[in-house]
Amino acid sequence: MKSSENREFARLARREGVMGPVLQILHIWQRRAPLLTAGALLSLLAVLIGLVLMREAGMRVAAMTVGVIVVTTGALRIFGSARVILRYTERLVTHDAMFRALADVRVWFFRNLARGAAAGLGFRRAGDLLSRLVSDVETLDGLYLRIIIPLLGACLVLPFLFIAINMVNTVLAVVVAGLFACGAFVLPLIAAMMGRREGGQVNHASAQLRIGVLDMVGGLREIATFGAEGRMLAHVRDRDDALYRAQMKQARMLAMAGAASYLCGQAAVVAVLAAALGLGLPHIAPLPAAAVLFLTVAAFESVGGLTRAGALAGSITRAAARVVAVSEMPEPAPPEGTEPAPAGSDISFGHVSFRWSANRAPVLDDLNLSIPAGQRIAVLGPSGAGKSTLAALLLKAVAPQAGCITLGGRDIATIRDDDLRGRIAWLSQATHLFADTIRANLLLGRPDAGEADLWIALEQARVADVVRELPDGLDSWLGEGGASLSGGQGRRLALARVLLSRAPILILDEPATGLDARTEQEFLQTLNDVTHGRTVILIAHRLTGVEKLDKVWRISDGKMVSVHS
Amino acid sequence: MNDDKTVMKAWTRAQSRLGRRQAMPVVLLGLALAATAVGQVWCIASVLASVLVPGGEPAVTWALAGLVGLAIVRAVLQMGADILAARAGMKARARLRGGVLDAILRGGPGLLRRHHTGELTALAVDRIEALDGFFARWLPASVLWVAAPLVIGVLAAFVQPGSALIMAICGIAVPFGQALFGIGAAVASRNQFLAMTRLQARFLDRVRGIATIVLSGRTEDETRRLAAAAEELRVRTMKVLRVAFLSSASIDCALVVALVLVALRNGAQLMALHDQGGVPATVMAAHVARGLFVVLLVPEFFAPFRSLALAYQDRAHASGAAAAMRILPDAAAVRAAGQAVCETGQGVSVAFEHVGFTWDPARGATLDDVSFTAPAGQTLVLWGASGSGKSTIIEMLLGFIQPESGRITINGVDMATIEPETLVAMTSWIGQKPVLFAGTLRENILFARPDATDDQLQAAIRAAAADAFIANLPRGLETLIGEGGFGLSGGQAQRVAIARAFLKDAPLLLLDEPTAHLDPQTEADVFASLRALAAHRTVILASHSAAVEGFGGQRVDLDHGRIVTSGENAS
Repeated sequence: MKSSENREFARLARREGVMGPVLQILHIWQRRAPLLTAGALLSLLAVLIGLVLMREAGMRVAAMTVGVIVVTTGALRIFGSARVILRYTERLVTHDAMFRALADVRVWFFRNLARGAAAGLGFRRAGDLLSRLVSDVETLDGLYLRIIIPLLGACLVLPFLFIAINMVNTVLAVVVAGLFACGAFVLPLIAAMMGRREGGQVNHASAQLRIGVLDMVGGLREIATFGAEGRMLAHVRDRDDALYRAQMKQARMLAMAGAASYLCGQAAVVAVLAAALGLGLPHIAPLPAAAVLFLTVAAFESVGGLTRAGALAGSITRAAARVVAVSEMPEPAPPEGTEPAPAGSDISFGHVSFRWSANRAPVLDDLNLSIPAGQRIAVLGPSGAGKSTLAALLLKAVAPQAGCITLGGRDIATIRDDDLRGRIAWLSQATHLFADTIRANLLLGRPDAGEADLWIALEQARVADVVRELPDGLDSWLGEGGASLSGGQGRRLALARVLLSRAPILILDEPATGLDARTEQEFLQTLNDVTHGRTVILIAHRLTGVEKLDKVWRISDGKMVSVHS
Repeated sequence: MNDDKTVMKAWTRAQSRLGRRQAMPVVLLGLALAATAVGQVWCIASVLASVLVPGGEPAVTWALAGLVGLAIVRAVLQMGADILAARAGMKARARLRGGVLDAILRGGPGLLRRHHTGELTALAVDRIEALDGFFARWLPASVLWVAAPLVIGVLAAFVQPGSALIMAICGIAVPFGQALFGIGAAVASRNQFLAMTRLQARFLDRVRGIATIVLSGRTEDETRRLAAAAEELRVRTMKVLRVAFLSSASIDCALVVALVLVALRNGAQLMALHDQGGVPATVMAAHVARGLFVVLLVPEFFAPFRSLALAYQDRAHASGAAAAMRILPDAAAVRAAGQAVCETGQGVSVAFEHVGFTWDPARGATLDDVSFTAPAGQTLVLWGASGSGKSTIIEMLLGFIQPESGRITINGVDMATIEPETLVAMTSWIGQKPVLFAGTLRENILFARPDATDDQLQAAIRAAAADAFIANLPRGLETLIGEGGFGLSGGQAQRVAIARAFLKDAPLLLLDEPTAHLDPQTEADVFASLRALAAHRTVILASHSAAVEGFGGQRVDLDHGRIVTSGENAS
């Protein structure tokens, strides 16, 4: 089943050249293939029973009106109720299979997003990504429910229709089957070709609207202080209007597609009646004529939605492309390693050079540095000197253009990302607090930490008093980006998260931000005790003098200069 | 809860009234479509009857021609109805979304304290999109499901009153089933939307912090949680669909029963005619035609019910939306705006007089009897640890919250009585992290004053010392800014905010820990630019950074919402 679907789309792909993403989506669905196939089979069975039922019903109704036979009540009832039940089950199973498959796509999307996002989102906006995860994935349900299933049904109905009518009259069979093929395959294909552009416009406009609204909501403070309400509203309204324009175009297309498909079916009905009257087509007998008429109506009903679906195909392929695009990183992330992390924690940078982009000056230039396990060092330097880049390189958020970085003697490029990152805890300048409880935010550092561990970490980060004063303590809701705390408190909470981690290597990027001078000194003294036996890389602008350090380095012109040892 | 329901019902009713006028043409076209369908069925029945009863009627080519004509008419009518329905949905959505956006702007930053930006965005985008069906499908269907079967039933009654009665009885049975299932549908659909909102808010938050997740090695955990949220959405969606499918299955049942009964009734009558014998062929043909007509009419009779069942969840979306919109402030609830105009030509002096404020009674007063004066053209530093009430004072000066006791005066005029536009015009504000909007750097700076000339823009950039880093960007002022200002460092983003403030050139400058996220070197640089900005303005600076000490002016020390000391700041 799956391979036949794949073949079907591969064929279309050659014609349209946009099927790559769709094939990839089908590939993600492979895990659900049994369920999806079961749904498709049920649906085919329902279509088939519907056809047989209608053909019989037509014959019997016609026969009855001329008084030949009487339909037994039981027969029609059983047929009818079987169809009703089958239809219900089929819809339930296909939809359930579909939504499971869509949930898979969402998970796949997030995993792929995470794979390349160690260095942050870059220029991708969260609103756009949200749009892809929510609306674009939702649009994909049409691929299975509105295209694949009816298309499979049509492939089954076409020969059935031809054979059944051919038993009555070949010319009529050719005419009706031809019209059916037109309604089931040709018209949808034309609609798909015409609707390709419009579909893309709707997806794009809807993502733009979401970005606009998210910008507006996120910037409410800026908007209020600059009195920009009117401008912002006009800006979002423009995007809203663009969405309506795109949707109106699509609605027109859909209405036209629906009408064309309907007329195709009616032409077939007229052809059957003309044959029954002997007008222009070979005359056929009255009773078979009634059977053929009912059969034709049922057959066209089963593909009635295909032309509209064809017009939506543009939306669907574009949605597939937007979802799949998440795995294509704007800047290639360092390749995933395969080796486990070695036991040792010695770090060494050998002849490492790095620049953020080809047209920018190198941040690190032939840099050599070795940090034995358990050593405590500080890296000093003005902002922009490359202190944070050092951390990004070590965590494989970015890869060096030249040189080699090793952990415990093994090249980090060969170590599995999760293993590597399990060994290093990083407090970066951009550490994020999640809209969750304080507890959940802390547990991110060490999922199995107990209540006492949490409080110890909070104490060490000098934020325990603040948490204790909150009405719900550890279970207080933090709000978006830690909104219920002040900037300095949030930063200290992030620090507590890092201190909680069991990682043997700590990288602390300006950990004392947000502390006043006295608390900063106290904190740095605590840091000396709590990180005993672990490697500490302190990234700072200046030293206060209380840090106990084995080595102090200064980054200058992309190279490391030892300050004192 | 009851109150909730009344509000929801009132909202749905008000929206129905507004939407129904738009839906009227769709309803009329729907009735025309029903009439056309009756004509088509009559044509088909005539042709079949003339074929089935030989020698009955002469070959009815007129019926065949009529069928062709009616099919074209129906296709055109259907197209018109589809387009008009889409337009009605769009008009309604435009109106509603405008209202929601208005309300969000009116609610201001205060809304963000209680609601996630993801939640508000879902409300303004997805909730409203989901309402399309309510206006485009539900409203016309809610009229047509009574009107269209009535038209078809009356026409059928002219031909065979008995069969029309059977259809009517089966048809009446449908709404009972619908009501039975419909109650469940509304609840299920509300839950479905809740699941959707939860998924969205969760994902938005996780995406923003994705680097933190990845680097903490928690990708798998978070993926599992997202999978759970997606699974919950599936379960809830299936609940909604199960109800919808059940209700259309019940319509199918009614249809089958009606079909069988009508067919049997006609079969029996025709058998009787045959047994009677000697009936002229023409009479026989007329009977057959009538019998076929009513049999073929049954599916058309039930079609509007089916549309209604398909649109039922659209109605549920409407009541869900009504409930969700209650988080937005009412138009009526807006504080009466002041009228007083405040002269700011000679600078602005600000005075707090015994101001008190409490965010959360459980955590005690945030501000308690706070009094101080910031004279025109001078700097006042609010000093204190995080949580001492500095930000609350700034929020009050921005007008986002009002004192619960005491008052604030600006140049001697009570702030509450001053025209909001005047207040906005006299104030500039720089917070911890400026929000940079999607767009170019130029657009982001011009945000402060869109009508500024290029010279003014360049002057502001120079004054904010932003010219150096902008010159180094590959595309200069036309550089596109990413999420959270990606591509700009914290210090650079803050310079954009300073450039905005220079461009706005307001006499009162509010600074809320403007360097909290910066390293000391950058902090010193930013403070140097801020000092330039502070010249000849009244400045209120909230901070507890040591670097403030060079800022001069008066200093007020706060601790837990009380003033502990005040005096001169070292300069």
